Amino acid sequence: MDCDDCLDKLYTFLDKELAPTERTAVAQHLSDCGDCEDNFGFEERFLEVLRDCGTADIAPRELRERVAERLRRTPPPPTL
Amino acid sequence: MTRSEADAEDLVQETYIRALRFREQFAAGTNMKAWLFRILTNTFINAYRKRSRTPETTELDDVDEFSLYRRMSTERAASSSPDPEREFLDGIVSSEVTDALEDLPEKFRTTVLLDVEGFSYKEIAEMLGIPIGTVMSRLHRGRKFLQQRLYDLARERGIAAVRTAPRTE
Repeated sequence: MDCDDCLDKLYTFLDKELAPTERTAVAQHLSDCGDCEDNFGFEERFLEVLRDCGTADIAPRELRERVAERLRRTPPPPTL
Repeated sequence: MTRSEADAEDLVQETYIRALRFREQFAAGTNMKAWLFRILTNTFINAYRKRSRTPETTELDDVDEFSLYRRMSTERAASSSPDPEREFLDGIVSSEVTDALEDLPEKFRTTVLLDVEGFSYKEIAEMLGIPIGTVMSRLHRGRKFLQQRLYDLARERGIAAVRTAPRTE
């Protein structure tokens, strides 16, 4: 595997969506190539930043109360 | 997804109402979070398509080959920071990520947000009714777009790691 092949699989590798044999081949290349390893490391940390920032929102209490109130007022499905 | 807190709250309410209405369709023992998100994304996409008069045509083709890592590597010599990549990543704050996400075209934003929620390619493909290859290309382009935007915001903030670099167009 060369650097271009490896970079083509960058996100599928980091997202843990690669087949085991491909995953092993990418990991092998990363252990041999410092530049690709640094590149993957940068992208991995970038994805962590996205996940940390993108999942921090918790619904405000007023919204939870409003949803609960609407659920109470919503009639049950006709089949019940 | 909605770019507005009020619309987001309406979407969450509508999602729970629909989930309750169709609760018999939930298969016990399967992933409740995935089921709720499928309802949420369908509700959002239907409402969004009704509202938007002209469908978004952008495919973000221009960001496909963008690599922030490459860009920062070539600028490392000119940077005053010993580790510009780390300084850039550590300097990103939540509000900047939110702003950058809001600038993403809708279909890319939805895909990226479902990924952020921890869903697999297959789950996202099923929720959005698109092939797995499309999920992959949307994630790729969406992430590259976000990198470019966050890099520009870092420049505006004037962090040392990117202070010397020319502005990206």
